[in-house]
Formats: sequence, structure tokens, C-alpha cells
Amino acid sequence: MSTSTEAVAGSATAAPGKRIGELIFALLILSIGIVGFVAGAGIQTPPSASDIGPRAFPFVVSGGLVLLGVCLVVQVLRGATGAAEEGEDVDPNVKTDWLTFAKLCGFVLLHAFLIVPLGWPVAAALLFFGAAWSLGARPWWRNLGIAVVLALILQFSFAELLGVSLPPGFLERFGVFGG
Amino acid sequence: MSTIVVGYVPNSLGDAAIQEAVREARRRTASLLVVNTTRADRLVDPGYADSDDVSKLESVLRDSGVEYTIQHGVSEATAAEEVLDAAQATGAELIIIGLRHRTPVGKLIMGSTAQNILLAAKCNVLAVKL
Amino acid sequence: MDNFLALMDGFAVATQPIYLLYALGGVLLGTAVGVLPGIGPAMSLALLMPITYSLEPTAAIIVFAGIYYGGMYGGSTTSILLNTPGESASIVTALEGNKMAKAGRGASALATAAIGSFVAGTIATVLLSFLAPVVAVFAVQIGPVEYVALMIVAFLTVGALLGSSMLRGLASLGLGLFIALMGVDALTAQQRYTFGSPFLADGIDVVLVAVALFAVGEALYVASRLRHGPIKVIPVTGGWTKWMRKEDWKRSWKPWLRGTFIGFPIGTIPAGGADVATFVSYASERKLARGENKLQFGKGAIEGVAGPESANNAAAAGVLVPLLTLGIPTTATAAMMLVAFQRYQIQPGPLLFETNGALVWALIASLYVGNLMLLVLNLPLVGIWVKILQIPRAYLYSGILVFAALGAFSVNFTPIDVIILLIIGVFGFFMRRYGYPIAPMVVGLILGPIFENQLRRSLAISQGDPIALISSPVAATIYVALIVIFALSFWLRRRQRQFESTDIDSTPSGPANDEVKA
Repeated sequence: MSTSTEAVAGSATAAPGKRIGELIFALLILSIGIVGFVAGAGIQTPPSASDIGPRAFPFVVSGGLVLLGVCLVVQVLRGATGAAEEGEDVDPNVKTDWLTFAKLCGFVLLHAFLIVPLGWPVAAALLFFGAAWSLGARPWWRNLGIAVVLALILQFSFAELLGVSLPPGFLERFGVFGG
Repeated sequence: MSTIVVGYVPNSLGDAAIQEAVREARRRTASLLVVNTTRADRLVDPGYADSDDVSKLESVLRDSGVEYTIQHGVSEATAAEEVLDAAQATGAELIIIGLRHRTPVGKLIMGSTAQNILLAAKCNVLAVKL
Repeated sequence: MDNFLALMDGFAVATQPIYLLYALGGVLLGTAVGVLPGIGPAMSLALLMPITYSLEPTAAIIVFAGIYYGGMYGGSTTSILLNTPGESASIVTALEGNKMAKAGRGASALATAAIGSFVAGTIATVLLSFLAPVVAVFAVQIGPVEYVALMIVAFLTVGALLGSSMLRGLASLGLGLFIALMGVDALTAQQRYTFGSPFLADGIDVVLVAVALFAVGEALYVASRLRHGPIKVIPVTGGWTKWMRKEDWKRSWKPWLRGTFIGFPIGTIPAGGADVATFVSYASERKLARGENKLQFGKGAIEGVAGPESANNAAAAGVLVPLLTLGIPTTATAAMMLVAFQRYQIQPGPLLFETNGALVWALIASLYVGNLMLLVLNLPLVGIWVKILQIPRAYLYSGILVFAALGAFSVNFTPIDVIILLIIGVFGFFMRRYGYPIAPMVVGLILGPIFENQLRRSLAISQGDPIALISSPVAATIYVALIVIFALSFWLRRRQRQFESTDIDSTPSGPANDEVKA
């Protein structure tokens, strides 16, 4: 995808925090492979199976992940870091804004918990409102207006026109959206 | 010496506002504070002057002979807030802005910078029309 | 001639008013997402997957095909007028196109890109119409062993060649295969990697993973390092009818054709996607240019826009050949098209032309129609496409998150899927951050179960003898081809890198508007 040069060229200027993070990510891949092996041993193989059984392929995949994980850990330890993805809206020179990241994750999580009690439109409007606020959109009343309109349009077009059963929540009582 | 704050956008309306501002500055023997900022919250902001626009603006102002300052850059505040803050900070006697015709739908979707300035300004506001 | 009649039937379907409307919607949306920063065609297909729950297959596939082609057109507009980084398939276009725009010839650049895309798209679709049924006839005869070989080719090329780091690409592929294993084994009904959770017993839905990786991961990644400071759009002046001068036509038509015949074959083989095709086309146009035109390269040569843009679109059509005849996606967008088919219990592959002929030919016919629509829409409407770039980023990415949440929730109508969406999305964020490509993971996830199935069938036939996997002459040929593809693409990449480090960086970046022939 990106045409940047091979990662081995990696930058010595990469922040130390990012290198530790990258190491953790490589270790995560390694550990997924290990878990795959351990859990793979627990897969039952019916004695009647005429082929290689349900266990073989998981072992191959887990083995591959372990191998790749080890290589990646070694590569990171030797100082070769990956080239972070580029994009039109991505500024490679700014520091990672963890606060915004956390806020966005928080609002998605909140959304997941609100769908059932409040209904999809309300939960979606809150998600949009919260995300727009986290990303710095102002003024708040315009964010709110767009959030409500978007949620209602989506609810109408998906639930009413396309028949995707999104729970309308309390709006159902006002007869706005049928079940 | 009193100050006139001008909200500038790089188009014909902005140029008209500058012309009017120069005339007012001469009449009142005031200095100009030209404000053009962006919140940088989108990929493309047509209201934000690039370096070419700024140098063109500077040459116009230099030729006019009035005393001027240009406030240009990326800011967290909205354009209206920047203009109002600048007016407040300098104790400006006049704010000059361009005013364009907007469709009802446009007004509904995007709040108006001009309207915010008109309503919240503490001093007189001169709205320039094309 | 049978195929020709089938294609005509396809046209009869695709030109029904309602399907024309769907195609129009698709190409409009596709162009919009191509223009908008941060949203690609793969992400928009993933986000629109919920429409497959109620639209009938033909309508949905036509919409998706429109998005697929439209995205290619939209990308060129931004690279010419904005010179933005990103979207690798448009990098080469930006090289000359942006210089042209700065020299006041943006309109010519846009026109040659759009017309070139149309010419290339149409010729490539003709090639697709004739080649795909032929390939399908051959493909019907291949057995599981050959299938395994083909999928290994797909895995290795997508995993190893798409990203910048081979290890990371393969790791991404492995993660996709791992997630694909979760759930109940299709052949023996044994639970695998469910860790006793009833939610994992059905496996993790492909759509959920795709939406999480493409949309949530991207939104989080962009949000974490948002660009500050707007980019200046170069204004396009003059009516669109005067965009191409006589000389522009004269200089463009050959690069269009060359780009087409470079792009289509590269698209059909999984050799690294459309950006390789654009690079090859650019390099050859540069080489073929003579005299004064050659001097313009690096300063806004129209050939450098016409060729790569055609190659780009031709490659997009080429990608559909392995997708429709073998069921093998070679790009992220093709992978999402495959998922769309699977939503309707249709498995693209050798039998697709027989079992779902009407649908496939309607799809191909809609590509012709969509191309024409895109040409008509793109030339006069450039102003509108540039306007949508003014959507504030906060609203854009908030909207993406809402759509992603909608897509995730509608998979099983349980909020737990939204939480899984978030978890995988965060994972996708870190993948982007540490340079792991996303596409191999999605391809692995989609092809994993099919691959395992074919592998086990091959080994059951050979009674567990692994030699059988390579002893079939066809399979052996495929493996040899794999080695050739690898050698070729490494050579291409080295060329590309040399080319980028020597030619592009040293291109004099002085004022672009000197010496442009009037």
C-alpha cells in the first residue's frame, strides 16, 4: 500500500515509547500464536475423521504466528521499527493524542451500553455528539443538531426503508418509528 | 490612536472589506488590525488566506499608507471569536466585515460568522456588501 | 457468442431505471469517498454492508460496483487539485497533475484523467467480459489441490507484497487466519478457539472485523494525529467544455491506451495492486516522451497524468478477473466485494458464471454504465467534489464511527458486537501505528475457511500424503508462477524505489509555471 521504503530502514528518531509499544505489539502476536498452540491442543478430534482433522490447520497458523512473532520481536529489538501508515488527514509530525483516542473509545463503549435501554437513535446521536466534541468540533449546539438529524435519518432509512431492525427505544411510544 | 478590526477572507468580498477599511482608517485616523484565522478542522478552508494571499494583502495595505497589523494563523477559536477577541483586546472603535447573501439552507447548516459578530460585538460594526 | 448474448441480457437488467438509479447512487457515493480524505472504497463497502440485509443481490452488487469504480475517479481529483499524500494509487498522478494545476492547467489534467479513466475503464471492462468466462471455463476443471495452490499464491502475494514490510504483512495475514478459525469447525463440528464463550461459538463475523479494521481503526488513527492546517485548493477556471485542447488530445490518447494495456494485466495478477500499475505506466510514458514533452516531465506533463490514471482504472477492472472466476480477492476492496457476494450465499469462483450468470453479467454491464456515468458526472461536477472537502474532519470521522457502530450492531443485533468492534478497532489502530497492513488480515479472514476446506479435501483424497499437493502438473505450474511473480515484483519494487529516490526527489521543484507551452 504505502510505497515507503522497507521498514528495516527504520528511524532512529522514533520515540522510545513507540518502540516499547511496538515491542509489546510484536509480543502480543507471539503470545496469540502460543495461545493458539495451547488451545489448539484442546481441540477434540473425532476418531472417525478421515482427513487431517480440525487440529492441523490451527497448529499451522499458530506455528506461523509464533515464528513471525519471534522474528518481529528480534527485528524491533535490533532497532528496526515499522513505517506508520500515512494518510491525507494524518500529520506524521504531531505527537499521538491519547486523550482524544481515549475519549472516542469511551463514547463507542457508552454507545454499546445505551442501545438497549435508550434505543438506537438516541445512542447513535450521543455517539456522534460525543465523538464530534472529542475531535474538537464547535459550537456544541451545531454538533447536537447534526447528531440528532443524522441519527433520525439513519434510523428512518435503515429501520423503516431497509428493514434492519434497529430498536427505536422510547421514540416508539411517540409513534415516530414503528417496530 | 484607535483601532479598526477587519475580518478578512481571501476573495472579492474580503478585498472590498479591506478597501472600505482603508477609507475608514483614513477618515478616523485609526490603525487597522486585519484578522484571518482558521480552526484547521477541515482539509480545505476557502476562507483561510495562504502565503500568496497574505503578501498580496500586505502590499495593498502598504500602498494605502495606513498603519496596519495582520493577525493570521491557525487558532482553536472560531473566526467570529477571533475577530471579537481582537476587538475587545484593542478596544476597537469599529469592526468591519464582509456580508454575503446566504441561502436559507446554508444558514440552517452553517452558523454565520457575520451574524455572531453583529450580535456579540461591543462596538459598531460596518458590514460591507458587494 | 453465448457470452455476448449473456452480456446483452446483463445490459437489459442494468439499464432498467431502478438499477440505473442504484448505479448512479453507487458512483456518486464512490466519487465522494474517493475525494474525501480518510475514507477509501474498501471502508465504504464495509460500512454499507448492512444494505445487503434487505436489498436484493443485483441492486446491492450494482451499488458496490459503482462505489468501486467511482473511488478510482475521485482519487484523481484530490491528487491533482490538492497534492495530498496518501492513496498510493494516486501518488503518481499527483506528481505531474499537481504541477499542471499549479501552472493553471488543472482543468486539462482533470479532463485527461477523467477521459483516460473512462477509456481505460471501458476497454478493460471489455477485456474482462471476454476473458473472465474463458478463465472460468478453465477454472471449473481444477480440483482442490490446484485450488490450494492458487490460494497460497493469493496469501503470499497479498501478505508479502502489499505492505512495506514483508514480516508485518505475513503477521497480519496470520492474524486474519487465526480469527477465521474461531468458531465451530465446518467438517467435524468441533469448537475451536471459542474459549468456552457462546459469543465466539459462531465465530467473529467478517463484516464486524472489516468494519472495525477499516473504519474504527482508521478513525482512531486519524484522530490521534490529526493534521492541523488546511491545504490550499488550486482553483479550476474556465468552462469544462474547453478543458481539453487539441494538443492535449493528441498527447493523451496514446498514454491512455498504453496505460490500459499496462494496468489490466497487472490488475489480474496479484502483484501488489494498482499502484504498481501506475508506476510502470508513469515510467514508460517518461521514457517514451520525446523532445519538448520530455522536458515537461516533473513540471506538469500531461502524459504523466493520462497514463497512470488509465492504468489505475484498468487495473481495477483486472482485479475483478481473479475475483469473479476464482473467488480470490487481491485487494482490500475486492475482498469486500467478495464479502458482499457471500452475504447472499453466493461464492465467487469457477461456478459463479454458471450458477449466478445473470447476476455476474448484470454486474459487468453495470460497470460499462457506471463508467459512462462517471465521465459525465466528473467533468462538470468537479466544483461540487471540491466543496465536500470542506466538511469538518470532526463530523466526517464522527459519522464514520456512527456508521461503523450501525454496521456492527446490525450483524446480530446485539450490543456485544459493538464492544467487539471497539476491541478489534483498537487493534487496527495499533496495526496502523506500527506499520502492519490491514488488507492481508481481511483477505486471510475471508479466504481462511475456504482454504482449509480445500486443503483438507485434497489431503483426504490423497489419504494424507502432502506430496500430492505439489505433484499435480497444474499445481506445480502455479507454484512456479508464484516464484516468478515474486521475483518480478521484487524487481519492480527495486526499480520503483530507485526511481523514487533518484528521479522524484531530485526533480527540480522550482516555479512550476515556467516554460509551459501555450
